[in-house]
Amino acid sequence: MTAFIEDDAPVIVQGMTGHQGMTHTARMLKARTNIVGGVNPRKAGTTVPFEDADGNTVEIPVFATVQEAKDATGAQASVVFVPPKFAKGAVVEAVEAKMPVVVVITEGIPVADSAYFVELALENGVRIVGPNCPGLMTLPSGEDSHGVNLGIIPDGIVSRGPLGLVSKSGTLTYQMMEELSDIGFTACLGAGGDPIVGTTLQEALEAFEADDDTKAVVMIGEIGGNAEQDAAQWAAAHMTKPVVAYIAGFTAPEGKQMGHAGAIVSGGKGTAQDKKEALEAAGIPVGKSPKAAADIMRGLLADL
Amino acid sequence: MDLYEYQARELLEEQGIPTPRAVYAGSVEHVADAAETIGFPLVVKGQAKIGHRGQAGAVKLAADLDDAVAMARDIMPMTIHGHRVNGVLLAEAKNVLHEYYVSISVDRSSRDFDVLATANGGTEVEEIAREHPESVRRLHIDALEDFDLEAATQMAESIGFYHADVDQAARILLKMWRCFKDNDATLVEINPLAKVGDPDDEDSKELVALDAKISLDDNAAFRHDGWARFRDPVVADALEREAKDNGLHYVHLDGEVGVIGNGAGLVMSSLDAVAYAGEDQGSGVKAANFLDIGGGASASVMAKSLELVLRDPKVESVLINVYGGITSCQTVAEGVLEAVAALGVDKPIVIRFDGNAAAEGLATLEKASLDNIHVARTMEDAASLAAQYAADAIAANAASAARREEDEQ
Repeated sequence: MTAFIEDDAPVIVQGMTGHQGMTHTARMLKARTNIVGGVNPRKAGTTVPFEDADGNTVEIPVFATVQEAKDATGAQASVVFVPPKFAKGAVVEAVEAKMPVVVVITEGIPVADSAYFVELALENGVRIVGPNCPGLMTLPSGEDSHGVNLGIIPDGIVSRGPLGLVSKSGTLTYQMMEELSDIGFTACLGAGGDPIVGTTLQEALEAFEADDDTKAVVMIGEIGGNAEQDAAQWAAAHMTKPVVAYIAGFTAPEGKQMGHAGAIVSGGKGTAQDKKEALEAAGIPVGKSPKAAADIMRGLLADL
Repeated sequence: MDLYEYQARELLEEQGIPTPRAVYAGSVEHVADAAETIGFPLVVKGQAKIGHRGQAGAVKLAADLDDAVAMARDIMPMTIHGHRVNGVLLAEAKNVLHEYYVSISVDRSSRDFDVLATANGGTEVEEIAREHPESVRRLHIDALEDFDLEAATQMAESIGFYHADVDQAARILLKMWRCFKDNDATLVEINPLAKVGDPDDEDSKELVALDAKISLDDNAAFRHDGWARFRDPVVADALEREAKDNGLHYVHLDGEVGVIGNGAGLVMSSLDAVAYAGEDQGSGVKAANFLDIGGGASASVMAKSLELVLRDPKVESVLINVYGGITSCQTVAEGVLEAVAALGVDKPIVIRFDGNAAAEGLATLEKASLDNIHVARTMEDAASLAAQYAADAIAANAASAARREEDEQ
């Protein structure tokens, strides 16, 4: 058992037959993710050939709807590579089919659409990860099983270990995985860089706190919003495991959006300094660089 | 995207929210005609995408045409906290009896929509919240439930609108919500929502939106014709505009080290690393820009990025920080060499590669063996080296300027 999703969980891909979907479905299969289907109403009934991790060709069936795919395959998660225009419809469909985990990679979804499907997911007990995120990767909890790689996180950087990782940023996720590759992870979750996301930093901490195999958590934040402060407040009251943080954007100017839709300091709110102070007040040390945060984590683990 | 007040008014009017009569004048020549339509006295309001316009002297009451023209002449060239004034709005002056504040915005923490309101309007809401926190009401509109007149009426009552204003306030709240939803706004703020009229004549009293601020969701531009009607005539920054046209996330800053990376977080982290290095080295150099090449960038995207960054005359060195996920460091290396050859770049470029095809990318750079391309192993080392090169170049420039001055004397 691992946080968020079981080893070898069957997975479908929404938008599999598109360019992004094809590229990343191939990658996810190489990483031994158990991809069992794709969804595209116009190509329902066909199959798409991919190469699996052992070099064999596998035919992945395409279904008309998420419900159909779930009924036929028992899928426990869906990865969404659908363009922004159609993303709301795709995610709502997955939520209504009560897909337990829906990972939304798409960048550029209107915030009103995200607000709608995130609320719908919360009411239906569905966990959404993202949008605008690199995905969710778990490492196998047993020798005979495989983790799942849902999204675009590069495979092969890390192996199983006692850490959990949650991050608002994609490449900083990979950077941090590499910094702590000698220790290893249970799961790495890209929360996403949009103003409204399905799994907040706090909710990721809650999941890692509940997971017996995770012993400590690294959290990567950035300017904009209050997610770090909310997580700090929750952690101070409920978290028994050590958390170490890194925040990007101390030198970002006010009023400028720094790449991510949610990465903006406005009206003096959402600064990296505010986040650092809130985290430190909650007993969560903040590294000055990803490497510094990794070093702090290494020190804490030595004392556990 | 933030709108100007005159644009925000348009959106409110489209929903039937009462506003004072007003005409926008884009230049001083248009002020006379516009003023005649409104009549006197009128308010001359400089249009800039920033608050505190009144305190900055960009909002004035004009008694006659000479006044209005003189004021417009003063206000039009102003820059308020870095935001250039783009024309003036000439608005009918109203007799204000009371000021409320109401806004609807995206609430990132509760993941729904936030209605913030107070019966003490007029000033910036941050100040109101500081001085009269008890007067500020915060309510939520659920992302799944519809907001109707009944809900709006309940909300108007709980916000603390005076009894006589509740019905009109409820209708305005509902229209604000429609304005917010229909336009994919992230903020609709009316401040003040003023009660205006003759104090002795009840029938003359009504609620009017005297000023408004609206921000639109850039991600929703695809379902609004790309917001073409709100395209800002004020070119904020030529480099930023060109980057945008090329699909690049570029933010112009004021330092000396050009920064390029893949992924918004990694680039922000690189900006911080450069600033820390500048501090540690005592030079105070900082990043000149933020540029995210995104995921899976091609060689031509990389080349275009380098060209853009180097066009900033303040840039003395460039830091390229790539952690290859989808992006291949080899492709990035090819793009760098392509741009360096095409532009004849001689400024120092410090490169840090990790992840996907990092070894191949580094080998490609090494094979090219260019004097101005330097490789560092970690992000911190790369930032430190780039900051050092920039500081050296600044010192060399200063020395040669001093020599020139001596020669001339």
